[in-house]
Amino acid sequence: MDFQAIHDRLVAIDAPGLVRAELPREPNKKEKDPGRSGESYVVVDSARMVDFLLACRDDERLDMKLLVDLSAADPAVDDENFWVLIQLLSIEKKHRLSIKAFLPKDNARMPTATAVHRGAQWHERECAEMYGITFEGHPDPRNILLPDDWVGHPMRKDYEFPTEYHGISCE
Amino acid sequence: MVEAQKYKPSMQLSDESRVLPSGEREFMLDVSTADLEVNMGPQHPATHGVMRVLLRTDGELVTGAQPHLGYLHRCAEKIGENVEWLQYLPYTDRYDYLSAMNNNLGYSLAVEGLMTGLEIPRRATLIRTICAELNRVASHLIAYGTYGLDIGAFTPFFYAFREREWIQALFEKICGARLTYSYIRIGGVFNDTPPGWLQEVGHFCDVFEDKWREYYDLLVENHIFVKRTADIGVISAEMALDFGLTGPMLRGSGVDFDLRRDMPYMAYGEISDAGAFDIPLGRGEKGTLGDCWDRFYVRVAEMMESIKIVRWCLDAIEPGPVLGDVPKVIKVPAGEGYVGIENPRGELGHYVASSGGKVALRCRVRGPSFTNLAVLEDLMPGTLLADSVAIIGSTDIVVGETDR
Amino acid sequence: MEQRPFLDFLETLGPPAWVPEWALWLTAAGLGVGLITTIISLIALFSIWLERKVSGHIQCRYGPMYAGGWHGWAQTIADGVKLMMKEDMIPTGADKPLFVIAPAIVLSSIFGAMVALPLSYGFYFAQMDLGIFMILALGSTTTIGVVMAGWASNSKWSLYGAMREAAQVVAYEIPLGLALLVPLMALGTFSLLDASHAQAGFFGMNWAIFQNPAVLPAFVIFWVAALAETKRAPFDLPEAESELVAGFLTEYSGIRWSFFFLEEYAAMFLMSVVAAVFFFGGFESPLTWAAREAFGSNTHIVVQLVCFGTIVIKGFIGVFLMMWLRWTLPRIRIDQVMTMGYKYLTPLALACVLVAAIWEAILSLF
Repeated sequence: MDFQAIHDRLVAIDAPGLVRAELPREPNKKEKDPGRSGESYVVVDSARMVDFLLACRDDERLDMKLLVDLSAADPAVDDENFWVLIQLLSIEKKHRLSIKAFLPKDNARMPTATAVHRGAQWHERECAEMYGITFEGHPDPRNILLPDDWVGHPMRKDYEFPTEYHGISCE
Repeated sequence: MVEAQKYKPSMQLSDESRVLPSGEREFMLDVSTADLEVNMGPQHPATHGVMRVLLRTDGELVTGAQPHLGYLHRCAEKIGENVEWLQYLPYTDRYDYLSAMNNNLGYSLAVEGLMTGLEIPRRATLIRTICAELNRVASHLIAYGTYGLDIGAFTPFFYAFREREWIQALFEKICGARLTYSYIRIGGVFNDTPPGWLQEVGHFCDVFEDKWREYYDLLVENHIFVKRTADIGVISAEMALDFGLTGPMLRGSGVDFDLRRDMPYMAYGEISDAGAFDIPLGRGEKGTLGDCWDRFYVRVAEMMESIKIVRWCLDAIEPGPVLGDVPKVIKVPAGEGYVGIENPRGELGHYVASSGGKVALRCRVRGPSFTNLAVLEDLMPGTLLADSVAIIGSTDIVVGETDR
Repeated sequence: MEQRPFLDFLETLGPPAWVPEWALWLTAAGLGVGLITTIISLIALFSIWLERKVSGHIQCRYGPMYAGGWHGWAQTIADGVKLMMKEDMIPTGADKPLFVIAPAIVLSSIFGAMVALPLSYGFYFAQMDLGIFMILALGSTTTIGVVMAGWASNSKWSLYGAMREAAQVVAYEIPLGLALLVPLMALGTFSLLDASHAQAGFFGMNWAIFQNPAVLPAFVIFWVAALAETKRAPFDLPEAESELVAGFLTEYSGIRWSFFFLEEYAAMFLMSVVAAVFFFGGFESPLTWAAREAFGSNTHIVVQLVCFGTIVIKGFIGVFLMMWLRWTLPRIRIDQVMTMGYKYLTPLALACVLVAAIWEAILSLF
């Protein structure tokens, strides 16, 4: 299925939390729209993400059993939201779906997808330490790549690089 | 709403973990004993780099395992947000340093996906395919050799390195580097092949086909090796999907999926339509479907398929330009996209987002080793110490990629 | 008759009358110890060089090529010097006395076992009627040293290695001893010299494996068990470098580490010679037979030299076989090691003993 068909199907099964589909568009100089290249994705309400993933997984025509990636992005220092980016893949039907959810920076919490896809577990741990996003109900919310005592969330755009670590200067 | 939590903490003394792989129950004396916690790593021959697995053992029996990562973390994603598009390319070499060509390719394809109107010359596409597949062979040769080492057979390692050395020499001829190539660029490849290079690749394919048979007989069908790996570390197809495993790990569990055939990129669709290559699958030939042997077999069999792809490309390649119309300083239009390619270890995904400038907004790397490693926590409890080494080896991780 | 080769040798020199007898005894003992240490060290040094060359050629490389000139013959010596120069390191948490004693125990027990080894019909350190018992007993004493080393290192990996060694040796002592009983029955002696005598005849080819149908299977069992005893692949679990870092050797370095290494190669040679003596004719070969025919007696110097050459060559064939196996086979798992030892080799060895006994009983009827 191509993106349009997937989106139609999502609408048809009334996938929980589906907000809108975002398609690439040509730049429009009149409206000062820089345009958007790349691939299409759907925007999903972060609070209902788990239900959405479950719907995608269990619907027989979508059949997205594989969570390829779960990550986040911090678009800009002055942006209010983090993006949570999820890539789903269907082995049988051979299609992909990109999902984006917006998560307010001042309250970066969303339910964990571990119960739907266990593969999300480590990805969520990485997101949590790198962006400070709390995945509620995560079974093992420790740091994974960073040391346990690391201060701050390095992948945030406003992250200030530490000048020393355990007495070791790193300037 | 959601089914009950499936997660089971791995570091617990569960009753099941005291059942030996053979099905016998561990005999518990009425003596108070404590399990021994032992750090496998960060400096340990079996962890293939600097990874640490905290093992809890009862004698030789592993009752719990907890991987600890991050010893090789080099902030690739953060660097990606701070350097120009082309400048980031050498960093991609460094995450999975055994298949740097594939990393270059994944990143280039992801960026090219955003650059509308950029056309990749056909010769460049075919050279990319040849390089990526040769690199896959080199990477699987390492997997073959080091897995032999893990099981205790030293000699196959040297044989594998002999052929890998040749591939590296080929790469050295084409780009001057032996490990970190940065050869596949945004828009094509860095330069055309030197004279006689394609013929030498053809010669390599001929020689390798003979050698491959030797390798197969030496290790894959070796009785002790089969005894050590069959029925160990069984990943069912369902579990593989649940954990998001990709690549040989997924195919070892019998799931017939390969991005090169099923979601083709570059010239793979054409090659696949021509029927030039097959996708080897684990069949549970020596034990249970999805055991260590199956995963290992898939890797070894894939080497031959890669050689077939290389041969197809050698037949199809024609002179022409090798680099598309790319400016010196690349500006990528605003947008975002995810491109996943079939790396030797699984799906290497690059999510790149641009705001229209010279620098990426987000450069996410989805390393297959990272995801594939998550399965360790579940596989290792209940095995013997030597099996846990076999399991780590069969995931074929590169720590540079788990940590990035 | 009491065998005192070194004392007899000193007495033939005609020492002055004022030299007390205990001094002669001491000199003889010192001579013997010095000689045996030298010979065994030389054999071990050569074995180590051989291992590196053999593994090199199996793996499509040359092995050492520079030290000393011709094919790196001095590589082991250079390594030995380097190891001696290394800092003497004892881990902080280690049990120091045990840590220091362990390599000494390992080395001395294997050298002790060598005492029972005849090198020719007239050249031996001690003629023992129960020589093979001595060899087996002292050979397995090395395990105590290994367990000691593993425990004293205060490292978990070392402990694993030591425990594996203990379990493995206990499991394989039984088939080893039982398998040796078969040629002992066929030859009718426990003494290594007499065993060699018993295989003389038929152009030097009256070897034990041709004397009794159970000896060949017994040899296979013996060889497998000997591999396990000497910690050689595929039974190198006590040091299993890909699993246990280096097993009981993890915390050892420098000269102490080299002692363990020396022991390993000495044990390999010892086991090979035992196999040669009890299964493959000892000093007997067509060449020995021809030399004896030409020079008349076993005591002639040329015959002695031929005997010595024969046994050393047979021993190194065994050592080479062990190396060949090591660089070819993967390592087996601890439960498979145990299963093989207890469930298969022991009953098979018992069956061999039974067959051999019946065969000998039938032979004795005629």
